[in-house]
Amino acid sequence: MISTTCLLSWMIFSPMLFAVIAILTPSFLENKLRTLTLIQTLVNAVLAVVLYVRFDGYSAAPQLIHFVSWLPEWGINYIVAIDGLSLPLVMLTAFVSPIAILATWPHGELKKEKFFVSLIMALQTGMYGTFLAHDLFLFYFFWEVVLIPMFFMIGIWGGKDRIYATIKFFIYTMVGSLLMLVAIFWLIHESTHLPGANPSASFEVLGQLKFAFDGSSLKTVFSSPQTYLFLAFALAFVIKVPMVPFHTWLPDAHVQAPTVGSVFLAAVLLKLGTYGLMRIAIPFFPQAAFYFSEMFILLGVIGIIYGAFCALNQTDFKKLVAYSSVSHMGYIVVGLFSFQKIAIAGSLYQMVNHGISAGGLFMIVGFLYERLHTRNLQEFGGLAKVVPMMAIAFMIMTLSSVALPGSNGFVGEFPILLGAFQVHPIYVLFAGTGVILGAIYALKAYQMVMLGPKTRNDLDHLHDLNAREITAMIVLTVFVFGIGFFPKTFFGKSDATLDSYANQVIYKVGHP
Amino acid sequence: MSLLETFPLQVLGPTELFSLLPLFTLTFGAVLALLFGTNKQRGHGYAFTVAMFTLVYALLQGSYHLFLTDVSLLGGTLVFSPYTRSISLMVIVFAIIGVILTYGQDKKEGLLSEVYALILFSTAGMILMMSTTHLLFMFIALEIMSLAIYVLVAMRRSSSFSSEAGLKYFILGGLASALFLYGTALVFGATGSFELTTIHHFLMFNQNPSFIFYVGLGLITTAMLFKVAAFPFHGWLPDVYQGAATNVTGFMGAAVKFTAFMAFAKIAQNMVFLDNHPGLRWFQSFIWFVAAASMIYGNFVAISQSELKRMLSFSTIAHTGYLLLGLYVMNNGEGSSRSLVLYLFFYALSNLGAFAVISIFEERNQKDLTLDQIAGLGLKYPLLGTLFTIFLLSMAGIPLTSGFIGKYGLFSAAVSAGEIPLVVIAVLTSVVSVYYYLRVIVYLFMKESTKEVAIHHRLKGATIAALISAAATLQFGLFPRAIIHFVKMLAK
Repeated sequence: MISTTCLLSWMIFSPMLFAVIAILTPSFLENKLRTLTLIQTLVNAVLAVVLYVRFDGYSAAPQLIHFVSWLPEWGINYIVAIDGLSLPLVMLTAFVSPIAILATWPHGELKKEKFFVSLIMALQTGMYGTFLAHDLFLFYFFWEVVLIPMFFMIGIWGGKDRIYATIKFFIYTMVGSLLMLVAIFWLIHESTHLPGANPSASFEVLGQLKFAFDGSSLKTVFSSPQTYLFLAFALAFVIKVPMVPFHTWLPDAHVQAPTVGSVFLAAVLLKLGTYGLMRIAIPFFPQAAFYFSEMFILLGVIGIIYGAFCALNQTDFKKLVAYSSVSHMGYIVVGLFSFQKIAIAGSLYQMVNHGISAGGLFMIVGFLYERLHTRNLQEFGGLAKVVPMMAIAFMIMTLSSVALPGSNGFVGEFPILLGAFQVHPIYVLFAGTGVILGAIYALKAYQMVMLGPKTRNDLDHLHDLNAREITAMIVLTVFVFGIGFFPKTFFGKSDATLDSYANQVIYKVGHP
Repeated sequence: MSLLETFPLQVLGPTELFSLLPLFTLTFGAVLALLFGTNKQRGHGYAFTVAMFTLVYALLQGSYHLFLTDVSLLGGTLVFSPYTRSISLMVIVFAIIGVILTYGQDKKEGLLSEVYALILFSTAGMILMMSTTHLLFMFIALEIMSLAIYVLVAMRRSSSFSSEAGLKYFILGGLASALFLYGTALVFGATGSFELTTIHHFLMFNQNPSFIFYVGLGLITTAMLFKVAAFPFHGWLPDVYQGAATNVTGFMGAAVKFTAFMAFAKIAQNMVFLDNHPGLRWFQSFIWFVAAASMIYGNFVAISQSELKRMLSFSTIAHTGYLLLGLYVMNNGEGSSRSLVLYLFFYALSNLGAFAVISIFEERNQKDLTLDQIAGLGLKYPLLGTLFTIFLLSMAGIPLTSGFIGKYGLFSAAVSAGEIPLVVIAVLTSVVSVYYYLRVIVYLFMKESTKEVAIHHRLKGATIAALISAAATLQFGLFPRAIIHFVKMLAK
């Protein structure tokens, strides 16, 4: 039995262990590699279930802390812990991974399969690590580790313009994260001024730091250190979210990435950005965050509407889903920066829900592309009769994406709009139109693919979903409606943390 | 003043002898390697064996006597402390990797067997240069090191680029040496001493040294900036990197850079970075400017290079900029000089590894590898591709690799010292650097090769050298505590 102290570390590093096994696999066993990947993701899912059971939902404090001294001279330690903010995201990662493996594996042969599966595993290590790190340096470390597998995944197995897309993805993220690195230096340096006088990068210590902020005029704002620290962190995170105007890497990366890469990108990687905002940028620099909140809400709303309009005019199915991500991630930004308890909770739910719905939609795109080798919406049509199972799965994911009451999407977007309305009614009015636009483009896509006349003759021989694809879709459907009808069951364990988190943030805004 | 008065002879005790032992061993080994290298059939093998034994023996001696008490010889001219002993050990490590890298490469490029002896001689010069605080001694050590390197650069006899590079390096290096010597003379004229520590004391108690001092300091600074290849004095570097045989380039890029920087740091610490010294503020801002210019110039010019060695040479200029940033804050923050050593050590290891992989990829007598020529090689040779990726990521400062730890230490020291504008420049230009490092990885793994590419010479030595460097890069990237602790202990 795994001892509880190391549980989180096992979650982080077990994919890495499997990656070593994958690399050492002899060539005659190479056709078993995808089974190995599935086993790895299932192992992590089991660990996640154990974690969920062990997690104490009545406590707001970080739990299951695993501390290993790493670089104490620089105040850097390996600290992993979990609380109500990271629990849902870890669960999301743990469950989306096996589903993604099941649903997206190409039917044909994949070149350099060994390399591919080790990258998938390394990617998971990075994602778990980022969500579980409770040390700023460690957070940054894993944050960057995530980049490398994704870079190779898009670059080697991607589409025609893959190199342009992958370099753009990497450079965009690097610009933000290197400025964040400077801010991290500054924070760690400041931590030496705390009692004890030792440098420290742990969230717990850094959370006690206070930085001067004077919001009385623009001049004072831009001479306050908190402003620069906040903006440095926020830039890194909103690039990852991505928030308009830093979103342009996303459609390229999504369109060029192989399906499994897109699923991970949409379902988990984008959440790293909003998680960072929630975990670091806002609580560490609350006054600055509050001062700039209106700007972020405005950009969030612009993102919602702009993303929706872009999605409306796409003929490339994958690009459509990518732009819908831009739109849906805008809600999370709006929710986080409204500084309302209910909206903050809604943002956390929305992170998980968008992971499920966008991941699901990318899987559908993958199913179609695998069979027809096109993503052009105008080349489909009338598929519902030929592939009924796929049509049902697609419908469920569409409904989840348009936030139909009873689906998981509603559970996230509604509280965000409700909470934000209390402070910024005008913005929310515009954000609300995003919901309508969302329904229009999502249903339009469904109509162009599944309904209407057939545009090609070869569509008649299309294979419906096979058993593993159906399994993946059933699990996703359970989550879509499960969260939709019983949100408390899924998110209940985060309540205590969310409550104390929101209270603290709102308190800190008022009491510098 | 006779020579004996300047350097009074003294009786050497065991501690002094033990401190000098690596130098003796290296010199003796170099002579032996020269002799054994004369064998017509097996000269290369013999010379390699002798060189390896010598270096490993020197390494063992050095590490065994690492923590002996401080020794100062020749009236304080040569100082052996745990600090200088350990940076000497680092240079010996580079030389070991360089010698392994040369094995196999010597036959491929038609290098003479003297290459091993020359590496040993230059290593001895390097150790001397880092151990002395006497400007004249430093000049002599600089010449011992440089003369060997000039020959090494020009040694690829069948290639005209190599001769061109050797000549260029020789003439420009000679000019730099002359400037150094002239500067030394002027400084001596102004302060009455060649000793860095004495000059330091002189400056502390004398706010207004004569104008001659500043001229001399300017000449010395110029010479050192030339040796470390900082922006306005970098012109020789790309041609020399391209012209020299790749193993020599790797050794140069690691060891010479390390030594020159350590010597420069010592000079700058004693003569430039003094607090409350109005006359020196000009020099400090000059170094600030050179640091920023090197980062910007090196990184932006590297983008437009399509040849690998040339690109890496411009990236070296950029790294010089980062190191100058470390130098600039060295006296301000506690721990800054440590992070400088760490950064240099990590960078040198990755650099050696990168050139090792290039030496495997390239053809005989090739001036440089173009990016097109490495297209698809990463997928064809996964081990070499992965190794090269590790080195490039390390130079780009991406986590998992030692380059990140080095950069982290250096930049955080600079932020602690309050030098945020320069750090922001450094960080933004390193985004630029990420682009050209990634482009190499893109070519290795993501481009299809245009024609059939293959490696014709499987160089075992270079592969082993690359493996050693990669292991070190990952080890120090993931578990840097031991070496940070080690360096911290030395500074005490």
